[in-house]
Amino acid sequence: MLSLIPVFLLALSAHASLLAVQSPRYTVTGAKGSEVQAEPVSLAQKPSSPVALHGKETLKLTFQIVDKETGKGVQPHQTFLRFYDEKTNEEGIQPVRVTPGGKAKFELNLSKPPLSLPPTPDRDPLKVTLFIGSSVYDPLSVELFDLILPASQPAPAHPQELTFHPLPEIKHTFRPENKQPPRLISAVSVGIVFAPWVVLLGLWSQVAPRPSHLFSPSILPFILSLGAFETLLFRYWIGLKLGQVLLYGAILAIPTIFTGKQALSSIANHRLGRK
Amino acid sequence: MFSFRRVLFLAAGLASLVGAKSSTGNSVLVVVEPKRQDDFSIFYDGLRDQGYELTFRAPKDESPPVIEYDEAKFAHVVILASETKNFAKDITPQSLISLLDLETNLILGLSTKQTPLASLAPEFSLILPPPGTPLISYFPKREESPSLIPITPSKYDATEILNKDLPPVWFSGVPHAFGNNPLLVPILHAPAESFASEVDGGSADALVDAAEKGGEGLWAGSQLGIVTGFQALNGARVTWLGGVDLLTDELAQREVSNGVKSGNAQFARNVAAWTFKESLVLRIDKIEHHLVNATGPNEVYTTNDQLVYSIYISKYDPQKATWEPYSGIKDLQLEFTMLDPHIRSSLPPVPGAPGKYSTTFRAPDRHGVFKFVVDWKRKGWTYLHSSTTVPVVPPRHDGYPRFLSAAWPYYAGAISTSMAFFLFSAIWLAGEVQHGNKRAGKAGKTE
Amino acid sequence: MPPKAVHSSSASPTDAFTSLWKAYNDNTSNRLKFIDVFLFFLMLSGIVQFAYCVLVTNFPYNAFLAGFSSTVGQFVLAASLRSQVNPENKDEFREVSPERAFADFALGSIVLHFFVYNFLG
Repeated sequence: MLSLIPVFLLALSAHASLLAVQSPRYTVTGAKGSEVQAEPVSLAQKPSSPVALHGKETLKLTFQIVDKETGKGVQPHQTFLRFYDEKTNEEGIQPVRVTPGGKAKFELNLSKPPLSLPPTPDRDPLKVTLFIGSSVYDPLSVELFDLILPASQPAPAHPQELTFHPLPEIKHTFRPENKQPPRLISAVSVGIVFAPWVVLLGLWSQVAPRPSHLFSPSILPFILSLGAFETLLFRYWIGLKLGQVLLYGAILAIPTIFTGKQALSSIANHRLGRK
Repeated sequence: MFSFRRVLFLAAGLASLVGAKSSTGNSVLVVVEPKRQDDFSIFYDGLRDQGYELTFRAPKDESPPVIEYDEAKFAHVVILASETKNFAKDITPQSLISLLDLETNLILGLSTKQTPLASLAPEFSLILPPPGTPLISYFPKREESPSLIPITPSKYDATEILNKDLPPVWFSGVPHAFGNNPLLVPILHAPAESFASEVDGGSADALVDAAEKGGEGLWAGSQLGIVTGFQALNGARVTWLGGVDLLTDELAQREVSNGVKSGNAQFARNVAAWTFKESLVLRIDKIEHHLVNATGPNEVYTTNDQLVYSIYISKYDPQKATWEPYSGIKDLQLEFTMLDPHIRSSLPPVPGAPGKYSTTFRAPDRHGVFKFVVDWKRKGWTYLHSSTTVPVVPPRHDGYPRFLSAAWPYYAGAISTSMAFFLFSAIWLAGEVQHGNKRAGKAGKTE
Repeated sequence: MPPKAVHSSSASPTDAFTSLWKAYNDNTSNRLKFIDVFLFFLMLSGIVQFAYCVLVTNFPYNAFLAGFSSTVGQFVLAASLRSQVNPENKDEFREVSPERAFADFALGSIVLHFFVYNFLG
């Protein structure tokens, strides 16, 4: 009994030397030989659910290739199973051994998988197609079923392959910014820092010597020079550069030395003279 | 020999004059057996229309040499002598490699015979089937022999190199399997149903045994290539043809189906355009780096600076033979590297400035000598490399922020000390000095 | 008038402190007390800055060092002025007159303030 075969290809020539695939059947057996699933493959339409293999199961596929007209078994030149992953474009071609009488048997044993299987790291379904080609017959291509294999290692990539694609972005983690305390606290602290002035002025009012010679001409210039120096240093903090302040300081040092000598010698004279 | 079709093609060529030129030179040497030289006239005319000057030479001739005194004499070399076993002594696998070092582009044809080129192919990670096994396919059903196969380019073939909607291409020759080399640019793959086998007398059992042998026992399926390009790291391009027949006039004019001419001529032109550096050729015009608000580059940058990096890229336009700014690169990346990339960011094109790609980022707070590195490699396109070295120094002693609010109390302390000193000195100098201590109050009473 | 008996039999630390304070008050001249008040002021100022550094933030560390060492340095200079000016130490400092001591003090202070403002940021 010939089953109806869908023929995929272009319209045929006059000498319709066609082949047919008879009684295709697949069997899934477990590792210990127990049958898990066995079904005939419908050639009229693809099965809706894929055949799934797990662990160390074995898939056996059997069919027979006959000449459509005479019904005799035929051994064509090319009987290939194509396993194709549509998502990754990986493909594996496996020839099927066919006896001269046309009987074909293919076994996929997961404990010793053939090298031609494509890698399935994500367990994508593989489209399984049967190609039959011969120089004397019309070629025949039959989609069998989808196959899901256990996850495998991904295909090995060349070490430089990554540089041919965009690489992940790298952002630098910076040291965290130094956080400053609220300005209010700093302002209050400024007040506290100035608080000892109260103590200073208060106590000094009791023990300070009377500045009776403050405005005498020998002493005042020295005091003013010291004040000028302090002002220069304060300005240095605000805006001057080192070279400038050293220059100005050197200039200012000259009158300071003179007035200082003058002031201190007059004080010494007072001290000794009073004696 | 002016035949009618040559006149037609020449006329078509003249109509689209200002022929496209290659970006690297116009001189092409064609090494071909004299008896086959005229089989490729459509291919030659296609090249001449693009502006190339062709020089012909038999494989065993000594002149013109491809390489003389370590200089390449031609910009491009096409070896169509795919069945010659003995070339003249200036064409050896080693000399072809040195031609690539000199940035000469090559088109090399293979065949079922074992030639010096077949021993060179594995250097490019192409694994050839045993001699005498061309690619055959029984699909689609056709009148021609199984070894003459019409192939329709699919979306996994080099869509940037080939024209869109290219008609099927007639092919006859050997396939090759690919090794794992990212420099390969597959241009056309074999059909899924094809395989390599002897044309007559191949047996099914031999195929099954070859597959069970493991390794590369069986050449079959769409993972095989038949026209494959290779772009070396210095930019030179090589295209390997599984068979030179796809350049012949006969296949260029054979119809694939009723009234539809094959795509061979167009395919040959596309392949030549890519190999001779007309299409998919880019170059870097200029690089700029500067601080965000500055115009010119700095000698030295400080950590935590905001830097701007710009790169200008042009693409070669073969129609006009000029370089035009090109903003079509979507995934250009910049790395700011000191031994390892510290920052890797994308360089998007700047709208409004054609050809300019720019990004702004903050320099890391590590100091050292950094490099701006752009290293862009994609299949089929010229490799873009650029590396600019720039020192990044820590802030100078007066580069730190001053007058911070956190330090107000310390400023107050220093100023307060200064003022207190001044006041102290003023009172000290101005005060009375008594010789001997002046005892305060309560003197005289002892207890 | 017979001296009043001031102390009862309760001897306590506060009494020691009180008598120390009384002795200090009676025996130091006003000039020295003047310097001592200055020293006390500098100490308070330093303590406040140190407390701020520890409790709130030490972020501009250079500013803390500058401010704190201005008080400490000034304290040292004033203390040395006090010891050189004290008449009881006249034998120690035979070549140094009080004016010379003050001149040293002023010069040292100017230099100290220069470094402090340099580092203050």
